[in-house]
Amino acid sequence: MIAQIALVLIQILTIIALAPLLSGIIKKIKAFFQIRKGPSIFQPYYDIAKLLQKDSVVSQNVSWLFHAAPIISFVAVLTAGLLIPIYITELPFGFAGDLIAVVYLFALARFFTALAALDAGSSFGGMGGSREMFVASLVEPALMLSIFAIALNVGSTNLGYISQTVSAMGFDAFSPYQLLAFVALFIIAIAETGRIPVDNPATHLELTMIHEAMILEYSGKQLAIVELVAMIKQLLVFSLLANIFFPWGIASGVSAMPIIIALLFYFAKLVVLGAVMAMVETSTAKWRLFRLPELLSISLMFSFLALVSFIIVKGG
Amino acid sequence: MSEIILGSKMVQLIIALILVSTFLILGSTRLYSCVRAFGIQSFLLACVAGIVAYSTGKNDIYIVAVLTLVIKAAVIPYIFIYIIREIKVKREIELYVNVSPSLIIGGVLVVISYYLIRSINIISELSSFALSASMSLVSIGLFVMISRKKAIMQMLGILIMENGLFLGAISLTYGMPLLVELGIFFDVLIGVLIMGILIFRINRTFESIDTDMLKTLIG
Repeated sequence: MIAQIALVLIQILTIIALAPLLSGIIKKIKAFFQIRKGPSIFQPYYDIAKLLQKDSVVSQNVSWLFHAAPIISFVAVLTAGLLIPIYITELPFGFAGDLIAVVYLFALARFFTALAALDAGSSFGGMGGSREMFVASLVEPALMLSIFAIALNVGSTNLGYISQTVSAMGFDAFSPYQLLAFVALFIIAIAETGRIPVDNPATHLELTMIHEAMILEYSGKQLAIVELVAMIKQLLVFSLLANIFFPWGIASGVSAMPIIIALLFYFAKLVVLGAVMAMVETSTAKWRLFRLPELLSISLMFSFLALVSFIIVKGG
Repeated sequence: MSEIILGSKMVQLIIALILVSTFLILGSTRLYSCVRAFGIQSFLLACVAGIVAYSTGKNDIYIVAVLTLVIKAAVIPYIFIYIIREIKVKREIELYVNVSPSLIIGGVLVVISYYLIRSINIISELSSFALSASMSLVSIGLFVMISRKKAIMQMLGILIMENGLFLGAISLTYGMPLLVELGIFFDVLIGVLIMGILIFRINRTFESIDTDMLKTLIG
């Protein structure tokens, strides 16, 4: 029992502690590719600490929803974090939900952020909210399908079980459907984390912003929570990529040494994925909003192909 | 034994990548990225041929692999880029079928070719995957020819179809006799050259390589 509680605590603390660091690292690598110096990798921590000390300025028109939304999305995202393998495959919350729960906990967080954006009644909020839902409607099916291709292979939708099995398979895990699903999920990760072909996380000045437009009304402590939620979500999407497709090094039992090694492996995988993401972001231009369905239908098609090729290879 | 298994695993992975590059051609509206995706596809095809040659130990297939690498992955993309640069064509492709629907049609074509292939009794899982991939390459190539307006894309479509046939041949029969392969390569190269010259002539006569314009009469 105590071990279980400790596992939950370690997982939550890892998620909250690493999320801003990952953001900082991606920013630093991006700056490196653009031959800038860039802010320190600890800058997101400073930002959040600063925001937490400030008071919120809230519009007079808002209802309780505006105050509740950051908390709800924070809790939803953290709960999703307990269902995703981070360093151990025996998930503390594994009995409570699986892949589908993760997808819909993300959707819950997004739904409340979009509602809060509409609540303040500013035109930017409405625009951001509608765009976010537009992107979400394309991302969700692709996300489900791509992990289903792996789940079909393993025979379970429990993410911990998936990553344990794939890690036990070793090099046998390299298969066409896994490759196709990885490509699909990588495109989804770009959309989910609001990175450049889809959204630009670095600017408030363009009319193209999606996520920033939604949270424009927030300030002070609430803004800190909203920013943290976005970073945690990014970390979790990266963990999905890392620990479902490359779960090697993850701990399968409760003991100290494998867990420490697993944490180190996890961190290394995050940095590599972050570097790849920064490269993609530097080498592409922001796409027009109405071209996004093209990008996301490529991703949907790849996850569909992953399923088809699974059937061809296994059932042929 | 283990080498052959590793080979077939790797061949499967590369075939999946070939499918990815084919869908990149379907999903892109830039001429250059289509040509680049075609180059990648041919390079992967050469890899398949190389692995097949290694695991069967036939020297002919090495020659075929090198020829694929040189002709399809280097010379033909170069000819494409030369044509695009020389006739100063607009770099954006116009489509009869938009990007998202054509991706979906591509996916449907893959499923259809799988069902067609399944009715044949095939022994191993590799050859069933490779055959349905080659069949889908042929049908997607045909679809590219139908649905794109630029004459260059018609050329690219027929080359995708040829790649599909090559994939089917190399993975099913471990290569046709060298003489036949050489003949095919010669045909493809000459075909590309003739089509390239044809595109130059079309461009001079109609001042565009939009296939829509070819319907109008010029006196």
